[in-house]
Amino acid sequence: MNTLEDLKTAVINGKRKEVKAIMPDLLDSGFEPSAVLEQALIPAMSVVGERFKRNEIFVPEMLVAARAMKEAMAQLEPRLVAAGIKPQYTAVIGTVEGDLHDIGKNLVATMWKGTGFEVIDLGVNVSADAFLAAIDQHKPHLVGLSALLTTTMPAMKDTVAAIRNAGHTDLKILVGGAPITDSYAAEIGADGYSRDAASAVDAARKALAA
Amino acid sequence: MKPAGHHALLACDVFKEEINHFVTASPPWCAAVFLEMGLHDRPDQLRQTVQQRIASLEADHPQLQTILLAYGRCGNGLLGVRAERCRVILPQAHDCISILLGGRAQHDAVLKKNPGTYFYSPGWIRGKRVPGPDREQHLRELYSERYGDDEEMLDELVDADREAFAHHNRAVYLSIFNKPAAENYCRDCASHQGWEFQCLKADPSFLLQLINRDWNSDRFLIVPPDHSIEADSDGTLVARP
Ligand code: B12
Repeated sequence: MNTLEDLKTAVINGKRKEVKAIMPDLLDSGFEPSAVLEQALIPAMSVVGERFKRNEIFVPEMLVAARAMKEAMAQLEPRLVAAGIKPQYTAVIGTVEGDLHDIGKNLVATMWKGTGFEVIDLGVNVSADAFLAAIDQHKPHLVGLSALLTTTMPAMKDTVAAIRNAGHTDLKILVGGAPITDSYAAEIGADGYSRDAASAVDAARKALAA
Repeated sequence: MKPAGHHALLACDVFKEEINHFVTASPPWCAAVFLEMGLHDRPDQLRQTVQQRIASLEADHPQLQTILLAYGRCGNGLLGVRAERCRVILPQAHDCISILLGGRAQHDAVLKKNPGTYFYSPGWIRGKRVPGPDREQHLRELYSERYGDDEEMLDELVDADREAFAHHNRAVYLSIFNKPAAENYCRDCASHQGWEFQCLKADPSFLLQLINRDWNSDRFLIVPPDHSIEADSDGTLVARP
């Protein structure tokens, strides 16, 4: 029989096929979807993130782990739905205009999806107008902006300003990406920041509770 | 002009071709150190390495007064860097792309018009990391050291890597001097990826000014001894104690 530890290891090592086989086994043997997420998948992505920072793995290995994580999520989602767990909140997320980096943004989107959010992912190179249109359409509780280039940090600032200027003063905005810091987030008027996908869940909950 | 003995160059290896092209006769520095361009993937490691090399330049060359950095802000990898005894000079630029394009405004303009652009230069091409016909082979060799003959894993890694470039649709070759082999290689990369190709005349002014000691304060940051490189909120690089 498989354990949560096996799943965690398979995700860390980017073994998508193993994950595909382990998941039904775990879920059928009575593990709660939330336990699978909180005790295996989220910790797995934290380990992968740490390894990347410590120089032990490269970007493609990180991507392969993210794919394995996605596979697990794809199997988890119908279970969550079947268990009657409806997304509590709606979030819109995207990478700001001029920026095409999406590995980190996708990880954050996956984490949010697994923890009670319906996530509308607008993709990369998203203009302030496109964010505003999505906000009008989906009426989210939370907006996530990602920027990986110092060149596109001004676009992040402008997008936050455009959202606020359009009257969405209570809408929670979270920002992230390698060059972003806590103080930059505060300075541009965002409600929160997180440095990795695992803490993005806490940051979102904290912002929504505030 | 001060003697070369008072100056040292610490540069990213990505600029080797351009710098060698401009510095022909006797170099205007007593020591030139080129650091591996792959460091840019990890801003924290880049910072540590640059910091260590500055310290060893200061220790090894007691007469040194000025360290020229051929680096930009590089994803915050240069923030926090400082010298003890020397002043440090670097271009006001985001990264090697802004340096080769001659400035922030030029860089922004290209990205605004064509966000799907991936930039190539002789250094980037030599680094073997650019998307194109040789990248897959390079990745397979790199990873077979770690994953042995786990073909499934190697395929998965190559496939994930390919997916990472899915949003790009244009290869731009930044040409500072005529180097047909590199330009043609970039053209091959574009056709391999199914991307549009453009050769853009790059702007040598940052590198030339750095070499020729023309450190205009709008374009260069001059960091006094025992100060560190920081960025203010609009992105301008500043020196702080
Ligand atoms: C992978 C990568 C690429 C890939 C991107 C693939 C993809 N589909 O995303 C490719 C090779 C295509 C690429 C292209 C380019 N890149 Co690049 N890239 C990187 C690299 C090495 C890693 C980024 C990454 O994916 N990290 C892994 C993820 C998991 O981490 P993350 O993104 O930081 O996200 C985490 C947190 O930040 C946070 N987070 C992220 N977003 C959000 C959002 C919210 C709401 C929250 C709460 C949290 C959050 O959670 C995430 C998960 O843990 C970085 C260097 C670095 N280490 O940052 C350079 C880097 C960002 N790239 C750089 C450059 C120069 C480029 C190019 C210009 C190169 C070129 N030759 O053209 C192009 C630009 C394209 C464009 N217009 O955007 C520079 C940027 C310099 C600058 N100006 O700031 C960097 C910093 C490298 C460097 N030091 O020079 N790049």
